[in-house]
Amino acid sequence: MEETQSASYVLVIMKNLNLVIILYIATLITYSLSGYIQESSALDFLENIYSMPIVAWKIPILSIGLYCSCMLLLYIQNKSSWGLFLKVCVELAISFCISYVIGFSYIGIVLLVLADTVRYFPKSEWKWKFFLVIFICMLYLLIDYNLLLLYFKITPLETYLEYFQSDVRSILLGIKNMLNSLNMLIFIVYIILLMHIQLSEKERILSLNEELNTLNEELRQANIQLEKYAKEAEQASKNKERNRLAMEIHDALGHALTGIITGIEACATLMDIAPEATKEQLKAIAEVARQGMTDVRRSIKALRPDALEKMDLDKALIQMIDEMRCATNAEILYQCKTELNCFNEEEENTIYRIIQEAITNSIRHGKAKQIQIDIDRKYNMLEVCIRDNGIGCINIQEGFGLYHMEERLKRLQGSLKYYGEKGFVVEAQVPIRLGYGGNNND
Amino acid sequence: MNYIKNKKNTLISILCIFLLIFIWVIYTNVYKQLPMFRDKTITIGVFSDSYWEVQNGYSYRILEDAIAIFEKEHPKIQVEYVSGILKKDYSEWLVEQLLSDNAPDIFFILAEDFNDIAEIGALKDLTPLIAEDNTFQKNRFYSSAYQCGQYHGIQYSLPYECAPKLMFVNQTILNNEELSISNEDWTWQEFYNICQKATKDTNGDGVIDQFGTVGYTWEEAFDSNGIKLFNQEGTKCYLTDDNIEPALIFIEQLEKLNEGYNISSNDFDLGNVVFQPMLFSEYRAYKPYPLSIKKYSSFEWDCIPMPAGPSGENISTLNTLLIAMNANTRNTEYAWDFMKVLTCNTQIQSEIFEYSEGVSVLKEVTESDKTLQSLMGSSENNLNLQILSDAVENAVIAPRFRNYDEAIAEVNRAVHSIIEENTNISMGQIIWNRTINKKLNYK
Repeated sequence: MEETQSASYVLVIMKNLNLVIILYIATLITYSLSGYIQESSALDFLENIYSMPIVAWKIPILSIGLYCSCMLLLYIQNKSSWGLFLKVCVELAISFCISYVIGFSYIGIVLLVLADTVRYFPKSEWKWKFFLVIFICMLYLLIDYNLLLLYFKITPLETYLEYFQSDVRSILLGIKNMLNSLNMLIFIVYIILLMHIQLSEKERILSLNEELNTLNEELRQANIQLEKYAKEAEQASKNKERNRLAMEIHDALGHALTGIITGIEACATLMDIAPEATKEQLKAIAEVARQGMTDVRRSIKALRPDALEKMDLDKALIQMIDEMRCATNAEILYQCKTELNCFNEEEENTIYRIIQEAITNSIRHGKAKQIQIDIDRKYNMLEVCIRDNGIGCINIQEGFGLYHMEERLKRLQGSLKYYGEKGFVVEAQVPIRLGYGGNNND
Repeated sequence: MNYIKNKKNTLISILCIFLLIFIWVIYTNVYKQLPMFRDKTITIGVFSDSYWEVQNGYSYRILEDAIAIFEKEHPKIQVEYVSGILKKDYSEWLVEQLLSDNAPDIFFILAEDFNDIAEIGALKDLTPLIAEDNTFQKNRFYSSAYQCGQYHGIQYSLPYECAPKLMFVNQTILNNEELSISNEDWTWQEFYNICQKATKDTNGDGVIDQFGTVGYTWEEAFDSNGIKLFNQEGTKCYLTDDNIEPALIFIEQLEKLNEGYNISSNDFDLGNVVFQPMLFSEYRAYKPYPLSIKKYSSFEWDCIPMPAGPSGENISTLNTLLIAMNANTRNTEYAWDFMKVLTCNTQIQSEIFEYSEGVSVLKEVTESDKTLQSLMGSSENNLNLQILSDAVENAVIAPRFRNYDEAIAEVNRAVHSIIEENTNISMGQIIWNRTINKKLNYK
């Protein structure tokens, strides 16, 4: 940044120097031209010139005016390629005019234009920029008094300076040449600075690149870690699923199998003593097995609540309740006061299962004839209440079903309450996560 | 941000364009077309004394008459001139005015300055004006005089008055020696014969006191032997031309007749020389002027064309006073009209014969009876106007290029060196030709 600053300072110095040089030459020409006229030696001058010189007083005005317009153009920022090209062309044309006014004795302004132009190059994508540089350089080389004399009738500075005595002339020309060389030196310094800036820019890019590579490597490592976590998570979810399966199997089969085993052992004892009683017992066992079979079917069904996969929670619930009604002849009332589309898959599953389990319990254990289901929302909690008019249960023994319900709710930071005094009541609370689904019924 | 930047760029561009327009206006003098700078005046650059170096007391007479005629035609236009500039200061004055952009709209231009001033482009190219103007007929002018106004083939000026070079003959000597010139188409041979016979010692003191010719130089010999010394651009010298050797030999022979005596034009004035080439203006200057009558009172004299060389004609050079227009004039139209009054108006042109010593550049004026009368006025000599008219019409036009005078000086050195060194003439020609060509191309 500091180098860019100093490069622009150098450019400013160059601009001022050019102004000084042009002013110097214009003054010399004006002075000697008026000198010729005042000293009545215009005829001598006439013999040495090839064209009408510009009137003395106009030379400083024209050259400085042209220089100012050139500086204004240099001030214009232009990044588009053709805009830049046009700008450079106009600047060069003006430089040429300035040179023309001062007898092609100074052409350093072209260097100034070049210095100003290359400043755009690092940022420019333009293909032709080097041709532009070559073009400017060619112009710089070709604007030479002796060469141009073939095409332009111009009066050289030397002819004007013949007005002065030879020693004064040498000093004046010497100063001009010195200023010209100074301008070139400053140009070289400027270019070196620009190159330096360019180089350090490259270095900076290189170090940034390295940093990027390091970060990239870190990212790759993190990615590998993440894949490992994902595998672990998958394993964990498999385990969870296995647990769940175990729970289901226990729920559905454990009880029946226990009954069957106990019954069959009793039968084995009874068979010889009381074959009739054994028969009765076997019937009962068959009944238990059948019941177990039904439970297994139910469990399998419960494992895959495809209703939920096909439709949303609300409809799935209504369908499930309808099916229950048909299968059991029980009266099931369902009332939902809120919308249920703001839950994720797990939450939906949980709600569905709780209601299903509760209905099954009511019918199976409570022999209920009427079941009422209410779903409502209270602040950020979804409240599900299932009550029946069945036999209830004074001393509730938490079986796998209720335990399972509680487990599922706990995972969702929800809670479960149940009462068995008057029928059986299950109250479940499921938190509604804010920002999920974005529904607000309040 | 971008919008502000664009706005800034546009503002700068507009400012820049205004600045450039301002510069253009200053450079091209367009601002002088503005009403406040315009005026209804045309200015004339003129010198007070005669172009022919004669004080005649009529310095601005013709110009004043021309102004009167012009202002009658254009009542709203004023014509002004700066009076009191002498001919010797005029060139310097004119160049100073040109350099400081104050030059008059129209100015007289001396023959020796014409090339330099035309070269730097200070003169207006008259070709378009001539082409557009139906009333301007260039064939009214003597073609030679008209051509004198050209530089590199472009008409930069119009002739105002001219004077051809003629041969003055001392009739008294011719009669005394019983010599005569056959006719106007006389040749070098005749010229040499007369000179040879006339060159003698008349009072018997052993010293030659009567001579054939004075002032007849290689220039006259070259002109009358059809020699073209330079090309039009002044880049080549033709000193090796075949016609040059006879001319050089002729000059050498003429000089030998004098046996080393150095004669001056004073000898002619005293009546001791038969021939002297002179401008017609000199003839006229001497003639009506009281002093000059006395000057030539001792002998009868006449003027005839130059003798013709073996490959040439009876012709010589023409000296012309030109009028040119400033390239930067703001009143081109009126300036052109005034130029026409000065050069094409018969009344003004015939005044040349009354108030100046030159010859009118219009054929009709020079050949008119009125002119004859005004020329004959006080003289008993017979002047054949046809000789005068032919001399002007057929005059040699020197090529127009810069440093012409220096080139002529160089040739002069060459001629003298070749004649004096008495070596092989053609070898001298080749050597000098190379030297002069080198100098011509160096410029």
